[in-house]
Amino acid sequence: MTEILLSLRGLVVGLRHGHDVSPIVRGVNLDVAPGERVGVVGESGSGKTLTMLSVLRLLPSPPLEILDGEILFAGENLASASERRLREVRGAEIAMVYQDPMTSLNPLLHVGYQVAEALKAHGASTIQARETTRDALRQVGLSDPERVERSYPHELSGGMIQRVMIAMALAASPRLLIADEPTTALDVTIQQQILDLVLDIQTTTSMAVLWVTHDLGVVARLVDRVVVMYAGRVVEDAPTRELFRHPSHPYTAALLASLPGTQHSHRSLLHQIGGNPPDPTRLDGGCPFRPRCPFAIDQCAHEEPPLLPRGESRAACWREPDSWLP
Amino acid sequence: MATVVLRGMDLAQRYEGRGKSVVNALRGVSLELGEGATLGIVGESGCGKSTLARLLVGLERPSAGSAEMSGESTSSLDGRTRARRIQLVFQDPYSSLDPRQRVRAALREVLTFHHLHSGAEDQRIDELLDMVALGRRFANRYPHELSGGQAQRVAIARALAVEPTIVVLDEPTSALDVSVRAEIINLLIGIQARITISYIFISHDLSMVRHVSDTIAVMYLGRIVESGSYDQVLDAPLHPYTVALAQAVPVPDPTVVRPHRVTPVLTATGPTTRGCDYQDRCPLVEPHCRDVAPSLDDVGSNHRVACHVAKRRTTIE
Ligand SMILES: Nc1ncnc2c1ncn2[C@@H]1O[C@H](COP(=O)(O)OP(=O)(O)OP(=O)(O)O)[C@@H](O)[C@H]1O
Ligand SMILES: Nc1ncnc2c1ncn2[C@@H]1O[C@H](COP(=O)(O)OP(=O)(O)OP(=O)(O)O)[C@@H](O)[C@H]1O
Ligand code: SF4
Ligand SMILES: [Mg+2]
Ligand SMILES: [Mg+2]
Repeated sequence: MTEILLSLRGLVVGLRHGHDVSPIVRGVNLDVAPGERVGVVGESGSGKTLTMLSVLRLLPSPPLEILDGEILFAGENLASASERRLREVRGAEIAMVYQDPMTSLNPLLHVGYQVAEALKAHGASTIQARETTRDALRQVGLSDPERVERSYPHELSGGMIQRVMIAMALAASPRLLIADEPTTALDVTIQQQILDLVLDIQTTTSMAVLWVTHDLGVVARLVDRVVVMYAGRVVEDAPTRELFRHPSHPYTAALLASLPGTQHSHRSLLHQIGGNPPDPTRLDGGCPFRPRCPFAIDQCAHEEPPLLPRGESRAACWREPDSWLP
Repeated sequence: MATVVLRGMDLAQRYEGRGKSVVNALRGVSLELGEGATLGIVGESGCGKSTLARLLVGLERPSAGSAEMSGESTSSLDGRTRARRIQLVFQDPYSSLDPRQRVRAALREVLTFHHLHSGAEDQRIDELLDMVALGRRFANRYPHELSGGQAQRVAIARALAVEPTIVVLDEPTSALDVSVRAEIINLLIGIQARITISYIFISHDLSMVRHVSDTIAVMYLGRIVESGSYDQVLDAPLHPYTVALAQAVPVPDPTVVRPHRVTPVLTATGPTTRGCDYQDRCPLVEPHCRDVAPSLDDVGSNHRVACHVAKRRTTIE
């Protein structure tokens, strides 16, 4: 059996309102091996960010809480770890780049101070921290690190902030990097440089990567395996090549069809999946994709499919892809 | 040529803080947006796109140059009139939404402020939420209860609620899955087919910019380095930065093998004091480029480029 660095088993995150709790993340299973790069894609609002925040036990609680499941990191269950142990893990062993970086930096403090403090929290001396900070900022293509250090967050552009966050995460040499939409504000040449930097680090360390993105081009370029989320669950888990060649879930297939390809003529309507994603608090017990699925059969209305083996992939769909793939 | 609804003339913006070096975020940008047209803006991170957006909608005053809407100076219009005509969808949706205000209240506020749909506000709010593929169940949420893509769509709904004639969209689809992104793009194109509305579409997603734009401007370090029709700029790029962009677009196909490190590691040093801003990253650099900054010139059919080598090549051909 291959070694596993992070293993989410049956993770359930619930939203509490009064005495009611409704699950939003509904039993996510996900494994990451040391040195592996896993991409997480999926519907907007499907629970990707909440899943990632759960790993570090950073859910805004209340109203959100982990209701069930294990978060095994190198064999240790973080779901039941003490706050003190979690502080050791955060940043040093598992580093996270947040989707909303502006709110994770303090608006009143210089950026350089905040990066250096983060490094010092992991044992660097003041002088070391200062030097590492500057190098780290340079590595992510920030051309004027001195100015960036002296700036307040609001004085930097969206892409500059994102790079500060990436630099901060990488500087601690984590065993696992979790990056939630980290390159949305970067132009493609700088994005490529960041991806190359991650790949370079991986040639000398066994850092594993969990990369949340809507950019299927980044997925194709960076990751070994892809996890697709829909309505709080993993609906497909596939090697990258397989996912693009033979999607095993109708939702994945629909996503691929929504890309503006070269065949699309200028300003024509793009393919979109009809209908809306379900309200996670009002699921009917059937397949959550059924109302939008062109391939639904009777069974889909009554039973929610678990992840079923489909060749090298796994997909939560009752139907064999051969029966519906063109 | 269509009527120009928005014009930027030599817009510049410098930011200076106590004892800090001055940042010349924008260094002389001129542009025109035609009635009912879409202008795409792409460029390096930090090159001044969001700054330009704020100047165009009148949220900040430029340190030099000016902007005008249908011939009237933007700064001479009062806030309400300006907001009624031009709306900005901010790059960071969370910071543009009031954290204490539920979605319905935020949308109602703009409708009341502009006396739109008086008496039928709630119905209009439901309609707007449906339009951006959210649905009315999101009306009672606070911003922090929304995912990244949901917040982005609330910000788009709020801008469209005003029914403006110009919308500046700063990275409007970066947090959306490809299907929802397609839906939003279809919505924007659909509105434009029905009514006269003009867009400025700022994005790093080149395939989307190509899809929606009539004309495209490419920015680098506070200036426009190339502009023209969408196909001129993206299918036959002239400026070496645009070429680098076009080559770096990640293709959603894992079988495409990319030569590792096609771009040199970027260690650009910020604006240079002399010559072309791109000289340190440029594969075509010549001695002349180190001395003289290239101006943005038309090389035929309104395709403009600011590169000595590119200009020479096009005139020889
Ligand atoms: N505090 C909260 N209260 C109520 N609902 C919440 C809260 N936080 C998140 N949600 C909901 O939980 C669901 C999952 O959110 P999450 O942020 O994990 O989505 P996501 O997959 O990261 O989406 P995106 O791609 O748009 O960032 C969303 O539908 C969101 O509206
Ligand atoms: N209020 C401010 N004070 C000081 N500098 C600022 C301020 N706002 C922006 N800047 C600087 O101006 C430059 C341009 O920033 P801007 O946000 O316009 O870039 P951008 O092109 O939108 O980048 P991105 O693609 O990363 O969003 C950056 O160097 C930024 O640090
Ligand atoms: S289980 Fe049924 S409804 Fe769900 S995706 Fe598969 S075919 Fe469609
Ligand atoms: Mg998210
Ligand atoms: Mg910006």
